[in-house]
Amino acid sequence: MERARVNIAVGLFVLIGIVALGYLSIQLGRVSFLGATGYVVTADFPSVGGLKPGSTVEIAGVEIGRVEAIGLADYQARVTLRIHAGVKLQEDAIASIKTKGLIGEKYLRISPGGSDRIIPPHGKIREVEAPVDFEELLSKYIFGKV
Amino acid sequence: MTLSRRGFVSAAALVLLLAPAEVWAGQPTDQLRTQVDRVVRVLEDPELKQESTVKARRAAVRKIANDIFDFSETAKRSLARHWPPRTPAEREEFVTLFADLLERGYISKIEVYGGEKIAYLGETIEGDLATVRTKITTKQQTDIPIDYRMLVRGEKWLVYDVIIEGVSLIANYRTQFNKIITTSSYQELVRRMKTKQEEFDEDERKRTSQR
Repeated sequence: MERARVNIAVGLFVLIGIVALGYLSIQLGRVSFLGATGYVVTADFPSVGGLKPGSTVEIAGVEIGRVEAIGLADYQARVTLRIHAGVKLQEDAIASIKTKGLIGEKYLRISPGGSDRIIPPHGKIREVEAPVDFEELLSKYIFGKV
Repeated sequence: MTLSRRGFVSAAALVLLLAPAEVWAGQPTDQLRTQVDRVVRVLEDPELKQESTVKARRAAVRKIANDIFDFSETAKRSLARHWPPRTPAEREEFVTLFADLLERGYISKIEVYGGEKIAYLGETIEGDLATVRTKITTKQQTDIPIDYRMLVRGEKWLVYDVIIEGVSLIANYRTQFNKIITTSSYQELVRRMKTKQEEFDEDERKRTSQR
């Protein structure tokens, strides 16, 4: 009898531990598979160099969404973004992949445009800027001058 | 037999001759190449190469630039969300100032052109927008990728953005203009652009009078 109670207590404890671990990994992994809100837009980049699903999408440094998926389409990187419902993106908005600081993580910065046409859900951001490849630039300056 | 074969050959030759023209007519790469070639011809013109004809050469380049660039679209996109509140007169003034700014920054730079190779790597058309990818090989054998973003206006494809080494011209100016306008005002931006142009004119005058 006593033994059964101990077993149940241990079992409950382990269960709580597993739930906590699951919650933690969802929080840290920045996954939201339950009730994804907002709308989806895509953008094609020649290269995404280091951008990952879960990376933030920012306007003026404020998070307005997340990168949901990155895939290959016609040898270009197609990035799917989930944007918060209240944020409207103009048709001439520019999406640039930037680095936080000099060697920080990559994020996607959107500079809002002035067009009166708004990108609809499942639309596409057509103005993009690929990340600047510092190593490539550096090698150009090192090896370029013969 | 021989006659029909000859007929076939000449017909084939005719098709080959005509096909590229038909396929490429009205394509963004072609229109861009035509204008770039015109600029190169002006820059390589020995008569315009002398120091005394700087003005004439610059005017010729500017004229060609007006044929292939849509300065008003570039200005509009660079001003972004500060464009709609502007009055038509303000817009017109801004486009002129912006075109002057680009001329100061770029046209004076391409004057040092000395036979660098320009390669056209391909184009992608998406509705009314297109990207033409090019590459300039410098004398040091360094490749500089330059992408032209173009939009269609009737029959013509016009350039509205230039992306050098992955850095967009519009994105660059949009950030700068936005910073100036939000920290001070639109009037301040116009004032700064005007003083820059006046300083430049002044420098040019001094430079020419010294000779």
